[in-house]
Amino acid sequence: MNTDEQIAKFREIYAALKREIGKVIVGHEPIVDSTLIALMAGGHVLLEGVPGLGKTLLVRTLGEVLDLTFSRIQFTPDLMPADIMGTNLVMEAPDGRRTFEFQHGPIFAHLILADEINRATPKTQSALLEAMQEHSVTAGGEVRRLAEPFFVLATQNPIDQEGTYPLPEAQLDRFFFKLLVGYPTAAELTEVLNRTTETAQATVNRVLSREGLIELQQLVRQVPAVSHVKDYAVRLVLATHPKTNTAVPIANQFLRYGSSPRGAQALILAGKVRALAQGRFNVSFDDIRAVALPALRHRLILNFEAEAEGITTDKIIEQVLSEVPENAAAVAA
Amino acid sequence: MTGFERLVTRIEHAARRRRLQRAWRAFWTGLVVGACIWLVALLSYKLLPLPMRVLAIGAVLGVAAPLVAAIGGLARRESPQQTAIWLDKQQRLEERVSSAIEVGRDPKYGRWSELLIDDANQHLERLDIRRILPWTLPKSSLWALLVLTIGAALGFVPEHRSASYVQKQRERETVRDTGRALADVTRRDLEKRAPALDATRRAVESVAELGEQLARKPLTKPEALRELAKLTEKVQQQARELGQNAALRALAKKQSDQSDRSDKSDQSDRSDTKTESADGKMKATSDDLEKLKRDLERALQSAEALKKEGAARDKAAQQNLADALNSLSQQAKELGLNISSLSEAIEALKSGEIDQLLKDLAVADRDLEQLAETARALEQMQMQAERVGKDLPEQLQNGQAMAARSTLQKMVNLLKSGNVDPKQLQSVMDEVSRAIKPAGQYGKVADHLKQALQRMQAKDNAAAAQSLADAANELQKLMDQLADAESLEGALSALRRAQAAIGTGKSWSQAGTLGQPGFKPGGRPGRGVGTWADEDGWIEQPPMTGAWDNSGIERPEMSPRGITDRGEAALSEGLTPTKVRGKLSPGGPMPSVTLKGLSLKGSSKVEVQEAIRAAQTDAQSALSHDQVPRAYQGPVRDYFGDLK
Repeated sequence: MNTDEQIAKFREIYAALKREIGKVIVGHEPIVDSTLIALMAGGHVLLEGVPGLGKTLLVRTLGEVLDLTFSRIQFTPDLMPADIMGTNLVMEAPDGRRTFEFQHGPIFAHLILADEINRATPKTQSALLEAMQEHSVTAGGEVRRLAEPFFVLATQNPIDQEGTYPLPEAQLDRFFFKLLVGYPTAAELTEVLNRTTETAQATVNRVLSREGLIELQQLVRQVPAVSHVKDYAVRLVLATHPKTNTAVPIANQFLRYGSSPRGAQALILAGKVRALAQGRFNVSFDDIRAVALPALRHRLILNFEAEAEGITTDKIIEQVLSEVPENAAAVAA
Repeated sequence: MTGFERLVTRIEHAARRRRLQRAWRAFWTGLVVGACIWLVALLSYKLLPLPMRVLAIGAVLGVAAPLVAAIGGLARRESPQQTAIWLDKQQRLEERVSSAIEVGRDPKYGRWSELLIDDANQHLERLDIRRILPWTLPKSSLWALLVLTIGAALGFVPEHRSASYVQKQRERETVRDTGRALADVTRRDLEKRAPALDATRRAVESVAELGEQLARKPLTKPEALRELAKLTEKVQQQARELGQNAALRALAKKQSDQSDRSDKSDQSDRSDTKTESADGKMKATSDDLEKLKRDLERALQSAEALKKEGAARDKAAQQNLADALNSLSQQAKELGLNISSLSEAIEALKSGEIDQLLKDLAVADRDLEQLAETARALEQMQMQAERVGKDLPEQLQNGQAMAARSTLQKMVNLLKSGNVDPKQLQSVMDEVSRAIKPAGQYGKVADHLKQALQRMQAKDNAAAAQSLADAANELQKLMDQLADAESLEGALSALRRAQAAIGTGKSWSQAGTLGQPGFKPGGRPGRGVGTWADEDGWIEQPPMTGAWDNSGIERPEMSPRGITDRGEAALSEGLTPTKVRGKLSPGGPMPSVTLKGLSLKGSSKVEVQEAIRAAQTDAQSALSHDQVPRAYQGPVRDYFGDLK
């Protein structure tokens, strides 16, 4: 299949995925788009929202439209790493011999739903670190590769913080996007009621196979991003680094730490997916700006002053976007 | 043409047009800046006492600003990538064009670059560069026109200048013009005859240098007067030192007496004495030239009035002045004078350039003055030649040093020739012996003559010739010193004229007539009643006495009683005034006279004794020149006599 056909297929599949998810999920188009962008870019997504907004349903629906193995892990305080990754069990053979045999945990799937991830202890949370970054699991002294594609969709509840463990920064940084799921509008809520309180049940079709997804992920990486666009992404990230000469004033005032290089990678990769999805062959400044919030909001660490004043990372990113010029010459001048 | 080439061509077209438009916009922005600079300069000039060159600088900057800005706009070139980025941003092409330009050159993108170039070309085809970059007047053009309009309107507003500033400007102008004239006059004198003595030459040159300095960098009025006074003092000192020589004084007196007698006896003949220049064309007498000069001065005053009163639009006044100048020009031609500056002045008046007219008239005035001086000198030489003494004693007696020197030289030649017959020798001896007495007043001349006589008596003709030659040299020295003294007097006269000009704010030519009887302080002859002051100037300035010690000289003709043989008047007792020191009449108020003069501030370094001596000398001089009324002469003499 040549490039033109691949691009056409990407657009077709992207539209089909949205259409199928739309059959189940009412509204939340930006969330669906962002989730699909992260999926195509090969990144993980952290969904944050109050209960009942459809986070889990979205991930489940995604698992249904993709021809992938799907695991759901409900994170609780007593969940142990071995419960996720698997463990060596003593197994008795028919001949009576006993051997250790690795019992695969739920993480050995293509699509993982880590529900209420912040309810697990840091020890359990950190069990995901290696899996999310390296796509491998080390258990019983043996490194086991996870099947590609590997895609973690985690959810967390911002309220009811009693007995929760906020995700460590290293863990957060491994998420490609952090999406904030908001309340539906009146029309959307009405439609939700129509769909969920009547007899008719929406059925979704599988749209994309595992191989097809890998192929599309590879196609995404071929999309050209020109130097001045990359430079813009870099300057955006550098502008979040407090106490440096590239920082914008608001970063100096309210940030303890800025974005890691993964932030810049996320900006460009997400931009490429968005460009392809919108029928372009190049990444634009608009693409970078459109994905800046989900790509950077969980990578900025606020200082005490920001916490005290109620400043959010979203506000800081919006300020950074308004202050950093697209043209590098403007910076030099 | 490939897709990429098409893309690059389109972008280069846009870049060219953008560059021209940048220059166009920069021109207008520069025009706004230039107009603002001009406006600020004009406002500053109108409100503050700034020189005219501020306007010139403002105008130059105002014109240069748009040109420099336009050139700067043209000089700034953009790469195709920069233009592509601009196009993307301007037309919201989402970096299609800039990506295509960058990726199109990189083979690693393969099919992607083709897709990008096609996509970019498709979008560019829909665009019309002319519509994106239309040729319109930028907003700055309105501002430029507004500022220029304000500037033009401001041009009609008269500038604000305080009276003191105007006065100072006039003074500076006067100082500059006076300096120029002073330098001109002094340099001319130096060219005419270079002083023999180094000290004199330096003194005269210092006058010329001061004039040049004043012309080059005008000082304030008090500064200029201080400088002039300092230099006057210096030159006076030089003249005093020269005047210490009794022989020189005697020679000067003789020449002066001779000149006075000649003047009086030949007053009626002077008008008949025609002066001819070297080419023989000039037929003017010094009187003609003086008359011409006075007419020219009147024309100059009319021109100054024309300028001062702003009557440039008064056609009648202009016509009168033009008629006067034409008449002057005609007179000059009739007298065989070629005064080009007069013709230039007429031209300047025709074209309404009053400043140029004034300058040309001033030049003509100086030219005429020079011609008059030349004419006077020629006349004097002619008269002297006519009245030269018949032999050496008479020549020495009359103070005709040049003739005496010439006679001595002839004697030297005769004695040196070797074939002198006794009769001739006796004649020479006789002439020399008679000349010894009149030569006694010329210092060593008499000694040399005595020596020559003795040697001739001793038949030593060669030695006698040498002594006569020494006498001739001595006379030559005296003549040189006398000429130097005249140069110094000329320099002093010029300095005083400069002081008067600067002090009164008059022009150089007007300052020359100041203080002359029959003329008002402005130099204009009195109006309304006839003045018995002869326009030929029969009353001349009293001779300069400051540099000379005349205390021992008897001048009966200057005595207040005149030349009389009646002896001292014996008044009756009732008429004899009671002498009360310090009072003219007992119990009455002491009359006072308010004197006007130049006030020079500063500390005096003159010693009291010296000041007293100077005051006594001046008082004596004033008394002897009848400058003190008769009724006051006694008290004045007593007062200054008692000073210790």
